Amino acid sequence: MAMATPPLRPTSLRNLNLLLRTAPRFVQNQFRAQSTTSSKSSVNPTEVSHFNALASTWWDPQGSSRLLHLMNPLRHDFIRSCHAAQARPPPTSGLRYLDIGCGGGIFAESAARLSSTGLVTAIDPSPEVLAVAKMHARRDPRLSGKLTYLNTSIEGLSKPKSAEEQYDILSLFEVIEHITHPAEFLDVCKDFVKPGGWIVMSTIARTWMSWFTTKLVAEDIVGIVPRGTHDWEQYVNEQELRAYFLEGRGWNSPRVMGVIYVPGLGWKEVSGSENVGNYFFAIRKDE
Amino acid sequence: MKPLASSLRARQLSGYTCSSCTRQLRRQRRNYGTSSPRSPEVFDVVCVGGGPAGLSLLAALRANPITSFLKIALIESQSLTPLRSYAPSPTAYSNRCSSLTPNSVRFLKDIGAWEHVRAERVQGYGRMRIWDGVSGASIGFESESSGDGEEGVVAYMNENLNLTSALVKRVDGLGGVEVLDEQKVQDIKLGEDTEEGDFSSWPVVRTSEGKEVAARLLVGADGANSPVRTFSGIESRGWDYGRVGVVATLKMEGSGWGGEGAKIAYQRFLPTGPVACLPLPGDFSTLVWSTTPELANRLKGMSQGNFVSMVNAAFRLSPVDLSYLHDLKGGQADEVAWRVQHTPFEPEQVPMKVTSVQEGTIASFPLKLRHADTYIGERIALVGDAAHTTHPLAGQGLNQGQGDVESLARSITYSIEHGMDIGTRMSLESYNSERCTSYGAA
Repeated sequence: MAMATPPLRPTSLRNLNLLLRTAPRFVQNQFRAQSTTSSKSSVNPTEVSHFNALASTWWDPQGSSRLLHLMNPLRHDFIRSCHAAQARPPPTSGLRYLDIGCGGGIFAESAARLSSTGLVTAIDPSPEVLAVAKMHARRDPRLSGKLTYLNTSIEGLSKPKSAEEQYDILSLFEVIEHITHPAEFLDVCKDFVKPGGWIVMSTIARTWMSWFTTKLVAEDIVGIVPRGTHDWEQYVNEQELRAYFLEGRGWNSPRVMGVIYVPGLGWKEVSGSENVGNYFFAIRKDE
Repeated sequence: MKPLASSLRARQLSGYTCSSCTRQLRRQRRNYGTSSPRSPEVFDVVCVGGGPAGLSLLAALRANPITSFLKIALIESQSLTPLRSYAPSPTAYSNRCSSLTPNSVRFLKDIGAWEHVRAERVQGYGRMRIWDGVSGASIGFESESSGDGEEGVVAYMNENLNLTSALVKRVDGLGGVEVLDEQKVQDIKLGEDTEEGDFSSWPVVRTSEGKEVAARLLVGADGANSPVRTFSGIESRGWDYGRVGVVATLKMEGSGWGGEGAKIAYQRFLPTGPVACLPLPGDFSTLVWSTTPELANRLKGMSQGNFVSMVNAAFRLSPVDLSYLHDLKGGQADEVAWRVQHTPFEPEQVPMKVTSVQEGTIASFPLKLRHADTYIGERIALVGDAAHTTHPLAGQGLNQGQGDVESLARSITYSIEHGMDIGTRMSLESYNSERCTSYGAA
């Protein structure tokens, strides 16, 4: 297979992470701050270089991103279920998407193709990955004018000045587990969502099961995902997300859907599995 | 403006304007070139082949509100005009008939095509009698009273023309299909990376009329020798049976032992292959006799009277008798009449006697079994005979094609609902696993 060799994270750094888990938070923060070059950005540079190396195989359906390709339809099903839960249905056209951490554009492209979509703004901090996304989007002339890629972090986007500039759907697919300070990151995201709009995300619960499936089995044993893709320490649990959004005011209707990858069958919704491994989470901004 | 002056102007301008503006200028100038016939027109679906499978796909995609926005083109080497003006005589039937399963009919109803089929020319049957010509062992099929289809129908006999003309009417009625008929596929190449987009993964079909179309999804509904399959480098494997199918439209001495309301299909296995007599409306039946190419030629060379006798013999006399009759230079009619008197059989267990064969309907075609290694490629899907050809024995060829089309249309719908590019292998995977893999299993 023509798969680029992913850069291995130095073992010492991994071990350090493991040690830090038990250390007091102020000690952890000192170490983590050092690994972030710009304190203004939510982006973890180790993560960026890792995904740069993945760029070439992003659109190979048999490559290392196959699981993401297979998962993508479920993202739309989940967003549809969020919209279906609204008392007043959303408009059938002109919906605005902001896709953060768009990677090669699997979700961004698909969102832009939907007839209900007005525009998609998709951002990613990795220039190599974004170049792949832009190049790939040129293969579908129907995307031009509807899909815009920007090489930036959320902090680099100018804050919307009115509801018209805000987004109906802000998506964070397989992103939050790669963010060093998720709470600060989500604080920034909130301002980009329209009243009545949704933050939709998918991530992995931080459990022994997810360590076993995503780190040990997927990366080390089966090798379906390149080694170093996940940092289990950064996984976020559904209860933590729910608590984060509901502690202040302004957000309602949290929704969750646990999914499990069944070899030969693909991704399947399994209720309760959000506490075990991969799950979708959505929350709506008050109108 | 003279051409010299305009080129001079552009060159002069370039000295004073920034490079991005001159690039803009050049692009605008080049854009005038896109009106030249060299630039392919871009379609979402280009279907090569306007047979039952191709036309059903177009009707299915046009009839569904989720897929109806797709820009679709059809390339067909024959003219569609005769299908549009289809006006068959009520006393004659085409020799190319197919048996449609209740499931195919249900699909044709779903896509709104069945109501355009001339119902008076369709014959449902509820019983099938199959027996072995050597041992006499027999089995019978009767319909299960399932929810779909009419009560008591195993299958429907229908002329292919009746179906394709109905499909053309349906497609015309729905509109929105660019029909390029009377045009052959000249060549298929991959597109180019242009300023409008990167078409290097898009097949571009050039027709014999010089028309070029780029396809997001190129569907090969173009038969057993599919040019689309050849272009995509998909191997098709199988064998020739060493048999040909002799077909003819037969006139029987009555409408059948069960009467008009309870028609029966008959199939007898002979050492040379099966012979089938399938009911059409009234006193008509259609013959499918698979036999060796040599015997087929002899059958085709006989007088009509002798041919009719041979068909009657095929359902009544022993294989030894048949072999003797085949070898005769002539006079089969008298010989059969005499031998039938001395052969024990139950008249009501075989088809009624054939009284005549419709003028000009005796024909033959070679029987082959082929199966493509895969039904999909990047921006390629094969349906119908392009994907598989089979022995007409079970009458499944056309029905499998309808099954392919229903599955492909379903996978296209799913892809659109989920924002996928309908041409990519990823989007087509479900079609392939549903049809290609299941065919292999069957």
